[in-house]
Amino acid sequence: MGINSITNACAHLQNASKARLGLTSLPNNKYNLRLCLALHRAGFISSVTRGGPHPPPADQLLTLEPEPVTNENVATRRLWLGLKYWNNEPVLRNVKPISKPSRLVTASVDELGKVARGFQAGHVKGLNLGECLFVSTDRGVLEVREALERKVGGLVLCRVSG
Amino acid sequence: MSAARPAARSIFSRRLAAAVSGPAPSPLLAAAPSTTRTSSLSSSSTPAAAATAPPTCHQFHSSAQLNARRPRFKNVRAAEMGLVNDKKIVQFTRQKFPRYSFEEMAELEKRYSPEQMESLKAGEFAINPRDLTVQGRLRTDPYRMPYIDDFSDIQPIIDRRPRRQPPPDPMARFMNMDEFTNDLVEWAGKFVTGPVTGNLKKLVDFVPKEYKKVAEGEWPGDVRDRARASFNAYIQAAAARGAKGDGDMAARDSSAGSPTDSDILEYILERSAWNDKGLNANSSLAPALPNKVPGVAGLYKNAIDPDDKGMDDTGIYQDLKRRTGMSVQEIMDITVKVLVRRFVTNQTRLGKVQSTAILVIAGNRNGWLGMGSAKSTEPAVASEKAKLLAIRNMRPIRRYENRTIYGALEEKVSGSVVQLFPRPPGFGLRVPHRIFEMCRAAGIQDLSAKITRSRNPLNTVKAAYEALLNQIDPDELARGRGKKLIDVRKVYYGGAVY
Repeated sequence: MGINSITNACAHLQNASKARLGLTSLPNNKYNLRLCLALHRAGFISSVTRGGPHPPPADQLLTLEPEPVTNENVATRRLWLGLKYWNNEPVLRNVKPISKPSRLVTASVDELGKVARGFQAGHVKGLNLGECLFVSTDRGVLEVREALERKVGGLVLCRVSG
Repeated sequence: MSAARPAARSIFSRRLAAAVSGPAPSPLLAAAPSTTRTSSLSSSSTPAAAATAPPTCHQFHSSAQLNARRPRFKNVRAAEMGLVNDKKIVQFTRQKFPRYSFEEMAELEKRYSPEQMESLKAGEFAINPRDLTVQGRLRTDPYRMPYIDDFSDIQPIIDRRPRRQPPPDPMARFMNMDEFTNDLVEWAGKFVTGPVTGNLKKLVDFVPKEYKKVAEGEWPGDVRDRARASFNAYIQAAAARGAKGDGDMAARDSSAGSPTDSDILEYILERSAWNDKGLNANSSLAPALPNKVPGVAGLYKNAIDPDDKGMDDTGIYQDLKRRTGMSVQEIMDITVKVLVRRFVTNQTRLGKVQSTAILVIAGNRNGWLGMGSAKSTEPAVASEKAKLLAIRNMRPIRRYENRTIYGALEEKVSGSVVQLFPRPPGFGLRVPHRIFEMCRAAGIQDLSAKITRSRNPLNTVKAAYEALLNQIDPDELARGRGKKLIDVRKVYYGGAVY
């Protein structure tokens, strides 16, 4: 699976947060969807809505029934993400991709454990206060602490902090 | 005006509601070619309108787009679709921005004063409805502002409080004896009614005509004596008449002709003692005294406070005491340290002026840290000023377990980058000496630091100060993400690891 969409999503989310947008969108693909759900579980974004090229109505972000995906409309499907702000500051501020298409970075369980404790392991620097690391494993995209609970390593996607 | 206009009209007809809930406006709205994109967005809720809309690129944000962006595809111009010819514009203007009908005008006249009607008409006259069609933009997207207001109501939160009373008279003062007497007579005159008594006569009424316009002090002695004698006789007679009439008067109507107890109470409590004719104020507070009361300014000096126990006889800490609320003993207990001292020169046409610039930090060794910098030709003065400023600027800094910081920090001031790292208990302060002094003043015991790039003393101190002061609150961070934060060091071993 190519990693392009993830690196693009990282840059886009950081830009959208700097522009203080309330709602933004990503191309709808499985990789993006899994990353978005992991971000949502970690509390960085408020909602993930599957929709078309236009933003869903504000009152239906959580309840919107997506129209069925067909061959005609599949290219225009987007993921609409609600960004969070707290005390006038974005909850998700820095999103830095670690794996890039030119260099994929993987980490074993031991290495992830070191990183989660704040020590450097290989190409991945230790986590600081309030930072999260997202890892793509065979159990889906997980936050580093979730991956350690399940004792799985994988492809290190990005580092997110507020 | 353009925003309030449809709202004002919706008072009479439900046109606005119909416009919102009904089918989306036709693409005519975008008569100007530059707003074509907006029209295609707003009208895309109906399939027919979407079919006629020119092809545009997708909108990936909910915020309004900038017009200046170049579209990916060439737009079909509204003119080519026959949407901006004169007939269509006139038709749309008539439909969307009609003139007031006579019934509407009559209804408006019931609600507004003639002056307001004048301004309404002037406003109607000033804006050409055609301009609204050609240049205006009616938002119909779900994120438009719910803006319905004709500014006729005063909303206490948004609007300023109206000041209905004139400003207070700056020359007002307490009444003197004569003014007070006249005021009292005037007040009492309100209660004497009817043909029987009439208003009480005054002393002036008992002198011959030629003296009526002359002040009392200039009357000849015999005229004054005679006038006073007849005035006293008149007053006594009036009082006797009042006393005699009291019995049957009270039986009929006790309030007629004399002030009641409540009147007297009102006089005592509420009658103004100023000579400004009882001018009402906009505020219930009395107008303040001027800054410098004439005749008093500069006569009094601050006495030495006995609470200081003789520690501040020169009075240098009095201002600080007032600002911070600390006692002189507490101020003296604060750790103050000069960290940077620079000798600077100002080159003027008269020669070089040497002065000393000093940067000082202050801390209470328990989580508070301040920084102050001052400059003077006298080093002692500069140092004193900087110390006072540093104490004044003391702020609380966040400490983990009262010994180190919460997370790694990095701050850049000019070319100096200071990195601070939290360390375990017993690690000590393995930091450069200026940061060491800051940590000691702030009460941090475990820390390590790196200064990458420039090691300029002034900028490193400033950067370290900023870094320590602007630490994020982990609880707020967790609350922003909707998480619960627990410090595991306080959970294991019954929290006895500290």
